Amino acid sequence: MTLLSAFLAAEPAHEAAHAAVHAAPAATESSGPLGDILKLFSNFGVDGPHLTVQVINFCILAFVLYRFAIKPALGQLEERIRQAEQLQQDRAAAEAQLAAAQKTAEAKLVAASDEAVKILADARNSAKQAIEAAKAEAQAAQIDVIAKAKAAIEADRVKMMNEVRGEVSRLVVETAAKVLEQNLDDAQRARLNEAAVKQLAR
Amino acid sequence: MSAASVRAEAKRLLALSLEGGAVSADLVGAVLAALTKSRPAHQLRPLLRAYLTNIRRELARGEARIEHAGPLASADADAIAAHFSKSLGRAVRPVARRNDALLGGFRVRVGDDVTDLTASLRLANLAKSLS
Repeated sequence: MTLLSAFLAAEPAHEAAHAAVHAAPAATESSGPLGDILKLFSNFGVDGPHLTVQVINFCILAFVLYRFAIKPALGQLEERIRQAEQLQQDRAAAEAQLAAAQKTAEAKLVAASDEAVKILADARNSAKQAIEAAKAEAQAAQIDVIAKAKAAIEADRVKMMNEVRGEVSRLVVETAAKVLEQNLDDAQRARLNEAAVKQLAR
Repeated sequence: MSAASVRAEAKRLLALSLEGGAVSADLVGAVLAALTKSRPAHQLRPLLRAYLTNIRRELARGEARIEHAGPLASADADAIAAHFSKSLGRAVRPVARRNDALLGGFRVRVGDDVTDLTASLRLANLAKSLS
């Protein structure tokens, strides 16, 4: 901008140049096609030195802009792009790791599921075997208890029958003895004694 | 004196008291008289007790103790005694005693041997076989 200010400050020189340009047609008109062109540009307001200064000014501005604004911005942009690419790569790697982890997790899940199914089947088999063993044991115990109960009942029955039979026999014999003792007279007893003597002699 | 020596002495005294295989009252009296003179009193009591037991056992061996229900003819008693005299090989005399609880028949005891031919025993055996 300082340079531009310097050019603007040199306006009198510029005005002088302008006057020279306006004064030029007279010369150019007499210099052929180039003069025509210059005249044409002059008619459109294009001033050669001014244009040169503008061009230089533009170049300087472009250089300054490129050096201090565009280049850092491009650098930052490239850095952003590089970061974005890095992020994308990281993301892809993370996605790959995630996919691998998911795959591993799924595999582990499947293995764990298989293991769980196997353990469950083993547990069911064990429980089934335990239940069957318990059933068999209970049935054996039941059969044993029933057999013992039957034996005890039979023993009680036999014992009771024997007791009843003994009691009945005792009552019958006691009754018979009492009847005999009351009804036997001496003659009958004497005959019994004689029979016993004969039995002894045999 | 020990119990064994008392029993041996009583056995010897019993042998001295027998005459013809039977206990003689005279011999028993002589044995007792000799004992009272030759033995002190503290030795005499157990010896006399053992001697009495032997004499009773020997007398029982010579008796057929007949328990009978109802009347028993003397001829039947003699027949019973003769039977046991013959089977035992020594003289046995009958001693009868009536016991109507036997219902019928008789029970004879000679020494430690018992022969039971009573109706009560038959009824008891019947009851035992039925029970």
